[in-house]
Amino acid sequence: MTAPDDLARDAPPQRTRGFMLEWRAMTARTYVRIVGSLREPAWIFTDAVLPSLGMCSYVLMYRALGAPRSYEAVAVVGGILSAFWLNVLWGMGAQLYWEKQQGQLQLYFAAPCSRMAILTGMALGGVLTTTLRSIVGVSLGLWVFHVRVTAVDVGALALVFVITMTALYALGMTLSSLFLLYGREAWHVCNALTEPVYFVSGLFFPIRALGTLGYVSAALVPLALGLDALRQVLLHGAARGLLPLPIEIGGLFVFAVAFLFLARFALERLEALSKHEGRLTLRSQ
Amino acid sequence: MRTFVTRLRSATWLGWQLDSNWTDPFLFLVYTVLRPLATGLILAGIFWAVGSRARTPEAFAGFWLANAFHNFVNQALVGMGYAVVEEREEYETLKFVVVSPVGMFTYLAGRAVVKLAMAVIGVVMLLAIGAWLLHLRWPATGAHLGPLALTLALGVAATVSSGFLVAGLGLSMPRAAINVNEGIMVGLYLLCGVIFPIDLLPRALQNVSLALPFTYWYEALRRFTLGHGASARLGAWSDGTLLAALAASTLAFVLLGRYGYLALERRARRLGRLDQTTLF
Repeated sequence: MTAPDDLARDAPPQRTRGFMLEWRAMTARTYVRIVGSLREPAWIFTDAVLPSLGMCSYVLMYRALGAPRSYEAVAVVGGILSAFWLNVLWGMGAQLYWEKQQGQLQLYFAAPCSRMAILTGMALGGVLTTTLRSIVGVSLGLWVFHVRVTAVDVGALALVFVITMTALYALGMTLSSLFLLYGREAWHVCNALTEPVYFVSGLFFPIRALGTLGYVSAALVPLALGLDALRQVLLHGAARGLLPLPIEIGGLFVFAVAFLFLARFALERLEALSKHEGRLTLRSQ
Repeated sequence: MRTFVTRLRSATWLGWQLDSNWTDPFLFLVYTVLRPLATGLILAGIFWAVGSRARTPEAFAGFWLANAFHNFVNQALVGMGYAVVEEREEYETLKFVVVSPVGMFTYLAGRAVVKLAMAVIGVVMLLAIGAWLLHLRWPATGAHLGPLALTLALGVAATVSSGFLVAGLGLSMPRAAINVNEGIMVGLYLLCGVIFPIDLLPRALQNVSLALPFTYWYEALRRFTLGHGASARLGAWSDGTLLAALAASTLAFVLLGRYGYLALERRARRLGRLDQTTLF
């Protein structure tokens, strides 16, 4: 005879399906990203302090050139956004490469949930932790460089921030799927996408200074458009914006939707290609 | 000596393979120049943005010049730190290098040779871009080629010596090695006044800056190439005093690099950290 308690214990666990499964996978990955980042104090220094130190050099360069103070505010906003771009590259784009190197990538593919739920969780966790860490840059801007921000429309700021982050992290999800194929190249591609993207996005200067190249960048790189929009909300005329704010918000919305679809498509295609070429779990290529 | 040269040549060849064989030569060349080019273009973007509103635009040439030579620091100095990270964490081959006849010190010297060559490519390209795109002139009227050659030699010696120190830190601090490398790269860019005079730093940081050979290196490069430096504080020094400060700080870093590295390597061995992987 089997006792009722034993029967209950041996019964198959109730399976979570559909939306609830994806939701739980996403929140679980968000939790891991947040808790994991807090457990490594050295990375807090790298993610929070270093981008701000880089920003200081550019602010002091404006000062050395005798430029109007409003340019320093432009560089400070760029410095704060640089932390998010680094997180998109190294925390999203290269994440599946790290997982492959650690021998954990196969667990992602064996899990019952979709990869998009896992990537969305990583993105949410990345935005939250980087937002917390950007406090260092904000503090430097306000109390060390005395950047003045007046009469900010909080609603517009929230809208532009959310839509910029969606576009950026959707791009990160696309990159992460591309890096499924890569070995050492993933590291080099992330390196190659740092300073060049800073330049074409006008991270430390108004993108309008690039002339036609600035318009081309705004049409291709979400960081360029999002940064310009955030500067316009925060600094108004001193931002020396590229396009009217509503147009930039519309462009960011298009970026967000397009990259989310692209990420989903690329993930499916490149997962199949990686399996076909036997690279999915191949370390140290 | 002949043994050292043979081992150095082997280490250099291996370093070249490690750095470059992940792609074809053309793409590798593009990759090598992409980052330094972009950092230069960011400065150009700032210059274009400010335009006629700058009160002291003549300072820009000095910033561009120092930023170009800072490529040595990014490539060679920090690159030697990353060589340790790659060998230990990514390829897990550091232990084999340690027990090989080449040894870690000569191996790192070989890696440095490759990275210095890559840095030279970046510097030459940045100087050429500056001349072509921004009409900057090198060397300008008033340049002193003799002291400039001495300055270059001292700067390269300081770079490689500091690279050994960074590599030693990487050996003894496995978990934080990447953070140390990144911190040094950004920290030196700020502390040594690459793109602004150190006079703009708070006084305490200026004193830290004056303990580093690269501060004198960038100032001397500006002075002997363009005929003027950037810092009012260092501008009061004669050419001889500036060169003496560069030579003295370089000598200190050469000694620190040599003996500091060996001490750090011994420490890493004693603590069992030589092949301790923490990332992958």
